[in-house]
Amino acid sequence: MAKINPDFAKEIFKYGNTDFQACYNCGNCTAVCSLSDEHNSFPRKMVRASVLGLEKNIQSSLDPWLCYYCGECSTTCPRGANPGELMMSLRRYLTASYDWTGLSKKFYTSKISELIAIFIFSALILVLFIFYHGPMDTTLTEQGGVKLNTFAPWKTIEIGDWIMAGLLSFFLITNVFNMFLKVIIKDKTVKIPLKLYFTELWKLIFHFATQWQFRKCNTKDDKPSDVKKTLTYWIMHWLLMSSYITLFTMIVGFLWWFQTDEIHNWWHPQRLLGYYSTLGLTIGIIYFSINRIKKDIEKSKFSHYTDWTFLVLLFLTTISGILVHLFRINGMPYATYYMYVFHLMVLFPMLMIEVPFSKWSHLAYRPFSIYFNNLKIAARKEE
Amino acid sequence: MIKSEEYDVLVIGGGISGAEASINLANQGFKVLIVEKDLSVGGKMIHLSKVFPTLDCSACITTPKISQTARHPNITIYTYSQVNDIEKKSEHNFQAIVTRYPRYVKEEDCTGCQICEEKCPVVVNDQYQYDLVGRKAVYVPFSIANPRVAAIDIENCSFCGACEKACPSEAIDFSQEKIDIQINVKSVVIATGFRLFDPLLIPRYGFGKYKNVITAMQMERQLVPTRPFNHVLRPKDGKMPDKIAYVLCAGSRDETIGNPICSQVCCMYSVKQAQLLMGALPLADITIYYLNIRSFGKGFNEFYQQAKDMGVNFIKGKIGKITETDNGNLLLRYEDIIEGVVKEAKHDLVVLSVGILANQGISSMFKDTLELDPFNYIKQSDELANPAKTTIRGVYVAGTASGPMDIPDSILSAGAASAEIAGYLRLRR
Repeated sequence: MAKINPDFAKEIFKYGNTDFQACYNCGNCTAVCSLSDEHNSFPRKMVRASVLGLEKNIQSSLDPWLCYYCGECSTTCPRGANPGELMMSLRRYLTASYDWTGLSKKFYTSKISELIAIFIFSALILVLFIFYHGPMDTTLTEQGGVKLNTFAPWKTIEIGDWIMAGLLSFFLITNVFNMFLKVIIKDKTVKIPLKLYFTELWKLIFHFATQWQFRKCNTKDDKPSDVKKTLTYWIMHWLLMSSYITLFTMIVGFLWWFQTDEIHNWWHPQRLLGYYSTLGLTIGIIYFSINRIKKDIEKSKFSHYTDWTFLVLLFLTTISGILVHLFRINGMPYATYYMYVFHLMVLFPMLMIEVPFSKWSHLAYRPFSIYFNNLKIAARKEE
Repeated sequence: MIKSEEYDVLVIGGGISGAEASINLANQGFKVLIVEKDLSVGGKMIHLSKVFPTLDCSACITTPKISQTARHPNITIYTYSQVNDIEKKSEHNFQAIVTRYPRYVKEEDCTGCQICEEKCPVVVNDQYQYDLVGRKAVYVPFSIANPRVAAIDIENCSFCGACEKACPSEAIDFSQEKIDIQINVKSVVIATGFRLFDPLLIPRYGFGKYKNVITAMQMERQLVPTRPFNHVLRPKDGKMPDKIAYVLCAGSRDETIGNPICSQVCCMYSVKQAQLLMGALPLADITIYYLNIRSFGKGFNEFYQQAKDMGVNFIKGKIGKITETDNGNLLLRYEDIIEGVVKEAKHDLVVLSVGILANQGISSMFKDTLELDPFNYIKQSDELANPAKTTIRGVYVAGTASGPMDIPDSILSAGAASAEIAGYLRLRR
């Protein structure tokens, strides 16, 4: 017995812009998709499930996560039903459905809630700094740098980092566990032997590190210009991802090494890694923003407001981080202190909202979905 | 000084609808002028093999009708001509300019002996055989053309003069020029028909790139009595195909190419061709890939069932893409909708069942505003009560100029148009 939700379409419209109800079931999307094979007919299966409102089927499906949105189905859909954008909307919907707190759904369906959340997190940081900041020392170090660790000692900030990292991990891990319940445990058609969880584990790490699935967005009959576009997108995505991971690791794990008063030579690993990451983030943000403004590739044609929130917060974080660095090494104490507070005021809400509840949660769901999918495939093979 | 002529009715287009409307009106005593842009009359129907669902010979219905039109004392036909600047001066008073383009062959002298064709050194694609074979630069359009008179394709002509020397009746005349004629008529019929969808607009189907992907019209030409090869052959290597695929809705019901509506004939003509192929190639497998079979007319569904019973395979699913494999064979990728599984099938000939589209540039022939419907067909201002009426009073529409329809419906529509025009013309008397 399948339970259907007749209002499902109305709900999906909040998560994206797709006229999927126009579908007349010709199967063109599935036939042009480079990911569909004899075992999995997507994206039409998801379109059908969405039209019928088969909520449970969608929530237990990994298909939306396996799609990397090459957009071929949308550009060739004879009904203009935009199946690619439906898959994108479903990814947003699934992010909300995995989240047991319900906050994700709030942020995705109401602009006001998201803005209020950003404001609360920013205000929290501001209040903490107003009451607990260190002395605003205007004297400079021997090298002419600002004594940032007097204003905000790394030991104190690190405690905050750890609390934040703890919260992020807690929400993200419980949400992934929720996903695991929905897609693996509740799927009675396949039983996964314990051994496979270990033998398939490398795929999780591999796909997390490389986003190899992007490679499948190209087929051998694609035009060279399209192949180049997809490749550029992959590289840019990887640049942004690796920059973010580097910075996150340095801030949470090695703050004593990253936030120093000493000004190292330009070739010091601390500065090199910092420059790589900030440059990577800047280039990535500019590339993705231009795509969303120009709308010339299928996956950037529609932007949900959460896509822009993410890009704007990330941009502000990056720019303010770069400015903190510049002000510090050039001996501008007040500018450094204020910019530092501002930096944390955008960084904190960005991480707290985006990582467990919004767009950035895909850093976990994407690789985990490939991992889970491979578990199912391997288990079926063993049977 | 521009020549001036007077008629009761101007019929634009000499296809089956134009001919039907003209005969009906001429039989009632009205003087009719047919202006045809092509070298001969008969439209698309004269090129078809059989009609569905009766499998009657299409040319055998068209040719007598066209002959009757051409010989009717009340009908004048201008082929290779175009109408422009149609202006409504007052009720029952239209003025227009007809431009007669030069054929470089004197129509009254040419006997259609085709000796010039033998001598002509220039070979180009034959548009009347839909590029399956070649023709000369001087040519009689096709064997059952009416008028059966040669013409010189001046753009491809090398001006060697061989035809001029060879012509026994001295009909070749390179000094011809286009002539403008001013005509005064009381009413106008638009019977401009349709154009076929150009499958180059769907690059993933590989038409133009893979030689063994052809259009249904090219297949139709291989099945007619005046066929180019006397057999059904695939173009790349001349092999007799034994696994043929039909791709339905190629250019119909597709928003991406701007034609979201059904063409109404592709399902049935594909079913018809499949049946004919069963006769021509008894060992061939024929598969029709469809979205929905629309067999809505009289006897259509029985015709479809008959094809099924004869062994034609019907698979529900739109072809996503076509790729060439070994020996020019083709791989078709689609989702089998009944099973919900992606499949790939190999065929040695693919026929794209191309849809029909509205002809362009019709409304610009008129100085008054002739409105079009959202799909660029002529708008029927009163579709239910007076189906032939357009947005200009005194201008009527017949056949596929008003929307996709099959041959019987086109003829019915032409009949309706002629009755409405007769009514309009008699109002004055």
